[in-house]
Amino acid sequence: MLDLELEVVRDGFVLEVSLSFSVGPTALVGPNGAGKSTLLRAILGAVPVRRGHIVLDGRTLLDTRRGMSVPGEERCVGWVPQEYALFPHLSVLENTCFGRAGAAGRARAGAVLDQLGLASLASRRPGALSGGERQKVALARALAAEPRALLLDEPLAALDADTRETTRGLLVDTLRRLAIPSLVVTHEMRDVLALGGPVVLLEAGRVRSTASPEGFCASPPSEFARALVKGYVQLT
Amino acid sequence: MLRVLPVVAALLMIAVLATPLLALVLSTAPGELVDGLRHPLALSALRLSLFTTSTSLGLTLLLGTPLAWWMARHPGPAERAASTLVQLPIVVPPAVSGLALLLAFGRRGLLGPLLDRAGWTLPFTTAAVVLAELFVSAPFYVQSAAAAFRRLDEDLLWVARSLGAGPARRFFRVALPLSRHGVVTGAALSWARALGEFGATLMFAGNLQGRTQTLPLAIYTALETDLRPAKALSVVMVAVALAVLLLLGRGTVLEAVRARP
Repeated sequence: MLDLELEVVRDGFVLEVSLSFSVGPTALVGPNGAGKSTLLRAILGAVPVRRGHIVLDGRTLLDTRRGMSVPGEERCVGWVPQEYALFPHLSVLENTCFGRAGAAGRARAGAVLDQLGLASLASRRPGALSGGERQKVALARALAAEPRALLLDEPLAALDADTRETTRGLLVDTLRRLAIPSLVVTHEMRDVLALGGPVVLLEAGRVRSTASPEGFCASPPSEFARALVKGYVQLT
Repeated sequence: MLRVLPVVAALLMIAVLATPLLALVLSTAPGELVDGLRHPLALSALRLSLFTTSTSLGLTLLLGTPLAWWMARHPGPAERAASTLVQLPIVVPPAVSGLALLLAFGRRGLLGPLLDRAGWTLPFTTAAVVLAELFVSAPFYVQSAAAAFRRLDEDLLWVARSLGAGPARRFFRVALPLSRHGVVTGAALSWARALGEFGATLMFAGNLQGRTQTLPLAIYTALETDLRPAKALSVVMVAVALAVLLLLGRGTVLEAVRARP
């Protein structure tokens, strides 16, 4: 369970949200510049929060009233950024066990790689991987650190259309099996429907609506949402 | 005619650059090289230069790395001021650096009384050589390392952080390996600059054999008595300079090969 109430001010842009995420995937949609990535970075601790709090599984990560903020490395929040940011100088296995040192960490990393069908790539460098493989390794790396929440910033956007289709299944399966909340920023209705969890629509730094995927499709809450749904219907 | 002119100019430039080095190498017979290096002046200068430059390089890495890291991570007025300060010793003439060091750490200098009370005298000691080398050479390292740190992808550091890596682990496992080229280049250039330091050392540390007479000072001194050690030491220094360049060149090649997927 992830509860948050945040006010972030960044170069004149104001993000003001109050949200609660339960276990399982939640899709985060909205136009460019709506504050989706900023929200993820605020949860991570990478952007300063002017006012608010973040509570993850009963543990307070941030409370500006009490002037407390848990440093990013102690938040137990996993992050898969847009371009994956794999460590280019480390092998797939070294990337994956980065968060957990020692033999136990390596074993855990090996198990996660196995689970995602990446075991055969363990000794490769990220430079020698395809886009889809990179995406999976980034996911494996985040999962191997056993996070209490997972943030994914457009995890499929960097992939070509074919790879995106094949990678989506594994990503969604993995996220749905996890017993932690995961937030997935996306620009694709297909992702929203596959994830099957609640859809949060963010516009101009505010939460415009929270709905089920079906509700979102049946009555799109804004012009942007209508375009998103229409684009998908036209495709299928 | 117009087409030939640039070629002639380029050849002239090459000739100006190559002739002195060629003359140095050609005028030094192998036997002379061995004799020259056996000369007491040469041996003690070699030893002293090796000791002082490795000490100043160690201090540069120890003190310069945190400064470079800070400069790369905190852009702003303070960083710009620090950056300018760091670049100054590169462009200030060595004689001016020597005088400035004397005025700062000399017996009657700015910190003279303070050092005196602690019982330390810096000028004309080996420590002064190290300080002069540090002053003129550290900027090369700090600039190069800071530039490398600035090029780091911020997201990589945040991913490391989200995986539970504290500041030390983020620096040594992510930032440093990914900046290694800039850091190594800076260290090599800085060391080469320290090895060649002449003017500031002469003014601030003097020219005492075994104590402050480094390689360049020994070459200068030998010029008046016996040319053999001067030539031998010069050949050694040219060889070292070439080795540094080749090492850096090889580094660049390795980097390019690694970057290919």
